[in-house]
Amino acid sequence: MTSVLWFQGGACSGNTMSFINAAEPSVVDLIVDFGLEIVYHPTLSMEIGKAAQDIFTPYATGEKEIDIFVYEGSVIEAPSGSGRFNMFAGRPMKDWVDDIAPKAGIVVAIGDCATYGGLPAVPPNPSNSRGLQFDRGGKRGGYLGPDFVSKAGLPVVNIPGCPAHPDWISQIIVALAAGRAADLALDEFQRPKTFFTSFTQTGCTRVQFYTYKQDPPSFGQGMRTGCLFYEFGCRGPMTHSPCNRILWNRQSSKTRAGHPCTGCTEPGFPFGDLEKGTVFKTQKVAGVIPKDEPAGMDSGSYMALAGLSRAVAPKWSKEDMFVV
Amino acid sequence: MTTMELNVSPLGQVEGDLDVRVQITDGVVSDAWTEAAMFRGFEIILKGKDPQAGLIMTPRICGICGGSHLYKACYALDTAWGTYVPPNATRVRNIAQASETIQSIPRWFYAIMGPDLTAAQYSSFPSYEEVARRFAPYVGTSYQTGVTLSQHPVEIYAIFGGQWPHSSFMIPGGVMCAPTLSDVTRSTSILENWGRQWLEGQWLGCSVDRWLENKTWSDIQAWMTENESQANSDLAVFIRWAQEIGLDTYGQGYGNFLATGTFLNPDLYTNPTVDGRNAALQSRSGIYANGQYYDFDQMRVTEDVTHAYYEGTGSRHPWEGVTEPIDPAEGAKQGKYTWAKAPRYDVPDIGYVPLEVGPLARQMMAARPDAADFQDSDPLIKNLIDELGPSVMTRVLARMHEAPKYFRNVQRWLKELDLHGEFYVKPTEPSSGKGFGATEAARGALCDWIVLEDGKIANYQVITPTGWNIGPRDANDNIGPMEKSFIGTPIENPDFPVELGQVAHSFDSCLVCTVHAYDGKTGKQLSKFRMGGG
Repeated sequence: MTSVLWFQGGACSGNTMSFINAAEPSVVDLIVDFGLEIVYHPTLSMEIGKAAQDIFTPYATGEKEIDIFVYEGSVIEAPSGSGRFNMFAGRPMKDWVDDIAPKAGIVVAIGDCATYGGLPAVPPNPSNSRGLQFDRGGKRGGYLGPDFVSKAGLPVVNIPGCPAHPDWISQIIVALAAGRAADLALDEFQRPKTFFTSFTQTGCTRVQFYTYKQDPPSFGQGMRTGCLFYEFGCRGPMTHSPCNRILWNRQSSKTRAGHPCTGCTEPGFPFGDLEKGTVFKTQKVAGVIPKDEPAGMDSGSYMALAGLSRAVAPKWSKEDMFVV
Repeated sequence: MTTMELNVSPLGQVEGDLDVRVQITDGVVSDAWTEAAMFRGFEIILKGKDPQAGLIMTPRICGICGGSHLYKACYALDTAWGTYVPPNATRVRNIAQASETIQSIPRWFYAIMGPDLTAAQYSSFPSYEEVARRFAPYVGTSYQTGVTLSQHPVEIYAIFGGQWPHSSFMIPGGVMCAPTLSDVTRSTSILENWGRQWLEGQWLGCSVDRWLENKTWSDIQAWMTENESQANSDLAVFIRWAQEIGLDTYGQGYGNFLATGTFLNPDLYTNPTVDGRNAALQSRSGIYANGQYYDFDQMRVTEDVTHAYYEGTGSRHPWEGVTEPIDPAEGAKQGKYTWAKAPRYDVPDIGYVPLEVGPLARQMMAARPDAADFQDSDPLIKNLIDELGPSVMTRVLARMHEAPKYFRNVQRWLKELDLHGEFYVKPTEPSSGKGFGATEAARGALCDWIVLEDGKIANYQVITPTGWNIGPRDANDNIGPMEKSFIGTPIENPDFPVELGQVAHSFDSCLVCTVHAYDGKTGKQLSKFRMGGG
């Protein structure tokens, strides 16, 4: 039996909603087959008031030890470091984090906000939101500090994404519950490598248009052809996520539906801080070269490849592929 | 007379953090304060940003109704920029909005309302065993299928929008996708399957058409005994149980309502304007106050910050709205007690009043006379209100009645999609303007007001359904709609005031779950836990 305590700070519940869509394993499977005991979840548990406090307080005082502490949402420090912009059960939420995180077996950050601070941390960051162990932009530290480790000797395990895909969440929880923490290889942002090494572009149905540098004429009507990287701000070639390997809602992905990847598993999301002219538009240098190139490319090799690609593009790459 | 004060913190199973403070006199709630306990400041972040930033930001205000946030954020820009929206794009937006809502209906009923229904304090009532067998969280026979099958309607959302939650695929001038034939056939079969398995098979025990024949409370009573299948449906079991444990006797509230309406007619709103909106709504907008109907006019909406943790007092229209947070410790000294502002509506001849939003409000507007041919016209829920009055039970019934209605809508819009037509027309992007976009999220009216200057957002204000319902007192000390609904509620056990949960949850203040906090694998362990937990 593995115990899980789930708290929400500066959160929208999007990761909880996403989690409920999990299929393999489903949330029900997690309980029945994997012996997971969710001792408290603010939206899943029916206990309210004192009955709820009686459940989670012992994990803060040290009377009981929680195996997995899941945190969704940012850690809110405003105003003036007091955390009073986010009260929970009579105290600032950050004080609960102070008490529970060091006493937990493993700490898991679910979603962008818990990982890097997320959207609430976009300037001017009115709530002084931080991630558990990273700040927005990717600086290691965050609320708990760079040296934090939980009882199991692990730093915070980050499962970013806005929201995180349900299967990333449930599969990592299963791995931890099954005692496979040692198998969990983490990358520089403490994301499980098993999910965050390949690119969003890996498996994208538009990748052949990328190869021949063909973009669609516009959204909507033009979305039956073309790659969204060149004009529409798609970050699929430089974002680490399995969105096109493990599909969303078992059906599709943003890029398959004609929606540019916004890079929401990376610490820079939303890129360009949503400043004027940055939304759904590829940022370019000198009007030609993408400011952010595909991972591992420099502008010289990018331009050489792009020129060649365009020159050899076959006729079909300029036509609709996703036809009625 | 004995009076006690009860502080319920947290009151869970709602979106965000809600604390409720009530005063109980002789076992009945005599006063109430709802306290939203978290502030992120999205309106402040949006200031000075790209006009389209709201399409990314506002769905992330709430992960439960992100599709609804996107729908209205997009119309706020459509009206500000003066776009052309092809009919196909409106159909896709409607399909997505309705899919999100029909996902939410069963999830909310089984995961949020259901657990309250099986609370241990009802165990001596005659139908308890049957209700617990069906609705007990996680082990209930209906619970598991109802919650599990609710994953499917948002698969339709993902087919058009890429993913649910948190897509931004609706953009000024249309939508990003251009669906293919297989997208439509797949969506249709997902919808039909859900309709057959859950909606007709489990919830209604009859066809959608048969249910929609009901026009009055007495029709419903006759429907409940018409045959065994209907009598044994989850819906009939709920209605009998609600009357048995008294859910028809409390949670009334003001009985005054506001709906901003939703589902724009694809052919009548190709050039979205603020003024042309009401006439193009399939699910109508409007106000119902003191027994009279009024047209909805967004200019009559204000937000009052007298008792909310923001600078100053008094109220403003959202286009002039200001969001300047203060330290709650300071605010408390000024009589402020929540992060929710208090939305009010200036009803002609009555003045600024709090209004309840949500399914009851929507269905009251559906009963308003003089609907256009394409508009929803449906007397059922108004008849329930006239016969029984508002209560936890009627609020739940209004919500559930929308499942068959929206199911029919999605079927029709899918059929009407012209795959060879346009889904997007690139708009011009004027650098200044004002816009208003609105919809109905599962739990009520949801609106954005945007002001653009120099090609940037000069002001962005959002009023959520939760804001309307859980908002606090205003400058005139009118209490908020949910606060009002708590008053008169009997509390049996102050350590576990399940009745307060029922009132709060009947507003669909939201979330869902498939799992509750216990280790039970059998009904026995479950009830033991509930006794202990309660």
